[in-house]
Amino acid sequence: MLVVGYLSLPFVQRGLLEVLFLAVAAGALGPWIILRGLAFFTHAVGTAAFPGLVLASGLGFAPVLGAYGVAVLFAGSLEVLRRRRGDRIDSTTAIVLVGALAGGVILASDVFASRASVDSLLFGSLLLVAPGDLLLAAVTAVGVTVVALFAARAWLATGFDPERSGSGGRRSRVPDLLLYGAVALAAIATLAAVGALLTAALLIVPAATTRLVVRHVGRWQMATGLLAAVEGAAGLLVATELNLPPGPTITVLAGSLFALVAVARTRAAAAAVAAAAAAVLLAGCGATDDDDRAVAGPRIVATTALIADWASAVAGDRADVHAILAANADPHTYEPRPHDLLATAAAAVVIANGLGFDDWIEPVAEQAGFNGRRLDLSAGMPVRRGDDPHWWNDPRNAESAVRQIRDALVAADPGGVVTYRRNADAYLARVRALDAAIAACLATIPPGQRTLVSDHDAFGYLAGRYRITVVGAVLGSGSGQAQPSAADLAALVETVRRERVRAVFGEEALSPDLVRQLARETGARADLTLYGDGLGLPGSPGGTYLGMMAANASALATGFAGERRECG
Amino acid sequence: MTGEILLEARDLAIGYDRRVVVSGLTFSIAAGQRLGVLGPNGGGKSTLFRAVAGALPPLAGSLVIRERVGVLPQTQRSRLDYPVSALDVALMGALARHPWWRSAGRAERRRALEALAAVGLADRADSLFGELSGGQRQRVLLARALVEEAQLLLLDEPFSGMDTASATATLALIDRLAARGLGVAIATHDLDQARRFDTVLCLNGRQIAFGPPAAVLTRPVIEETYGGAIVDVPGGGGGILPAHHHDHA
Ligand SMILES: Nc1ncnc2c1ncn2[C@@H]1O[C@H](COP(=O)(O)OP(=O)(O)O)[C@@H](O)[C@H]1O
Ligand SMILES: [Mg+2]
Repeated sequence: MLVVGYLSLPFVQRGLLEVLFLAVAAGALGPWIILRGLAFFTHAVGTAAFPGLVLASGLGFAPVLGAYGVAVLFAGSLEVLRRRRGDRIDSTTAIVLVGALAGGVILASDVFASRASVDSLLFGSLLLVAPGDLLLAAVTAVGVTVVALFAARAWLATGFDPERSGSGGRRSRVPDLLLYGAVALAAIATLAAVGALLTAALLIVPAATTRLVVRHVGRWQMATGLLAAVEGAAGLLVATELNLPPGPTITVLAGSLFALVAVARTRAAAAAVAAAAAAVLLAGCGATDDDDRAVAGPRIVATTALIADWASAVAGDRADVHAILAANADPHTYEPRPHDLLATAAAAVVIANGLGFDDWIEPVAEQAGFNGRRLDLSAGMPVRRGDDPHWWNDPRNAESAVRQIRDALVAADPGGVVTYRRNADAYLARVRALDAAIAACLATIPPGQRTLVSDHDAFGYLAGRYRITVVGAVLGSGSGQAQPSAADLAALVETVRRERVRAVFGEEALSPDLVRQLARETGARADLTLYGDGLGLPGSPGGTYLGMMAANASALATGFAGERRECG
Repeated sequence: MTGEILLEARDLAIGYDRRVVVSGLTFSIAAGQRLGVLGPNGGGKSTLFRAVAGALPPLAGSLVIRERVGVLPQTQRSRLDYPVSALDVALMGALARHPWWRSAGRAERRRALEALAAVGLADRADSLFGELSGGQRQRVLLARALVEEAQLLLLDEPFSGMDTASATATLALIDRLAARGLGVAIATHDLDQARRFDTVLCLNGRQIAFGPPAAVLTRPVIEETYGGAIVDVPGGGGGILPAHHHDHA
């Protein structure tokens, strides 16, 4: 597709508008951030929003309010500390940042267990710009521009001569507080677009680049706004063409341009570098493959590789199935790619796991302008206590899922009814056979030995189906990153010893450190792993649903029995 | 010519966070007077200027300031890449007289250009501050103080790093400003220069002496001010210089 062709896509339009608003803010503030030595503060104030996001998601208010509340507190305590201690702004920023992050970690791990919206704000995505984000960006653009117009002289004077005080030493604190507040507002506004980690790409790097060629403050601001807009728009379009995440793409673009300009100022050889960069970019654009394969039936989007596995089994060659989340990916840190939105925009059916496992499909479908059939598989099956989303670990739920997918495909493409029924029947028979084989295999092990310890309680459905006792999980479900407390670990060690557990199981998609630590302290074996959050990589034993279930059952039986077993 | 008293200190002690750095200050500056402030590095010259500018509260004694003060701080290297023109800097003086959110009007620009003309830099108004010579930068800062309508100027080691020609021009400018009725305090290490001023103040952690140079700049006072580390100028008619009178970092 020609790059300009993307301009008709709603999500691209919203992304561009967001970038333009933020570019205005970057133009108004970027030069001041650099002149007043606030680059680290800018980066820190976005990152420090973390505890505010945790509080917002825990107490259920808008994340932006939490983030901005903390940012304003951050700026305020910075100013107080800096005045009282007379420190440099960098070291004071570091102190306040460390405090904020520590507070956020404690809140996230010990007070609230939820973290979904925290991730989305810390990382952000230009592909998922909501109307609220646009409003915030617009207000920010207007607000910081007005403030910069009025306060420019005071900001310039203070930066020129920090020690000097206007008339007899009494200089108003208001302009400086306004500067910190404006920078905080802009940093929070960029959170939604590119995330805390990439705030600098929008607010600092363009200004640093234009500084190399422009000397006068007013012209510097203009050039910065223009450059930020061009970099943001180009980054978004290139990312859409090459299926890259837009935030990092913009960052790489802005960083490269800065390097280029810096080199150009010292050496004429920059022309060669520029030519090479352009060639690489063009080659990249030309090399993108075309997604428009001809299929008779509908296009289907599945949120996970597991659901795509079922959908493909039912659809056979008749439908085109696109999986959003790659196999073995952590579902908790997903950032949508442009092609996910393009596929969703063209899809007839979107199939989701439900129960918070893939909530991000909501904004993706909305931004893509999707108006086909939505299928939430969890809605059609019995759900365990605590809305545990790992229902597929009970094969009877998988049967339900396959039947639901079959019906949705038939509804979307009545012409394929014969194909879908035949494929689904064949697959359901294999699921039932596997279920029976696993049950028989585990039945050979005395119930007292079927005691499961895993680092992530994804296996409640499995345990319920095959009479396995779960004695503990190091982490709660739905959490790939929360830190276990020392007391949690100690309690678990105690449980493992008391129950004479022979094996603790790690998970393919998670870090093995915790499980190893547990094994070291208890003497249980820790070399067996389970697939907890979904399929393994294609080609691995867990690369399909049937293979994954068989592999999990074999690993469990081996661990319980203390000798090699094969199930399924 | 001397006029009304612009500044009067009595038994003044100043410092940082209750730690006294200079004490026993009893001196005054009148309109039209030039005061040389002498003292070794770390003697407290900059600290005194900060206190007069209002950035440090007196720790003891009294300090009465009757007019607006303009400060020319010791030059900092970091300022040289700051993107401001000479005119921008001169205009900063107007900030002291107006609320911070007021933008510079035509009258203020005219006043700033006049001030630049008064310090002999009318033709450099659009030059970048960082691209001016050390002497020219000092004069731009003087112009800023003039725009501020300061009646009392504090010049903290204005001659360090300045060539002789610039120093001579700047001294002449100081004389002109004093003749116009301004009070000027100049921190310096140069005893010969100090002899040209109306009064001198010798500091070394405390006030050593204050008065007209002829009465104050005696060998014992200078020895006490510079801690005895002084050398005789060879062949000079009793002239004395501190051992390290060049600029410090
Ligand atoms: N910002 C400051 N905070 C604390 N002490 C300071 C500060 N600035 C200077 N001092 C101390 O005050 C004393 C006088 O310094 P200063 O006034 O700079 O001397 P001078 O300008 O005569 O060289 C020195 O001992 C110095 O260490
Ligand atoms: Mg000094």
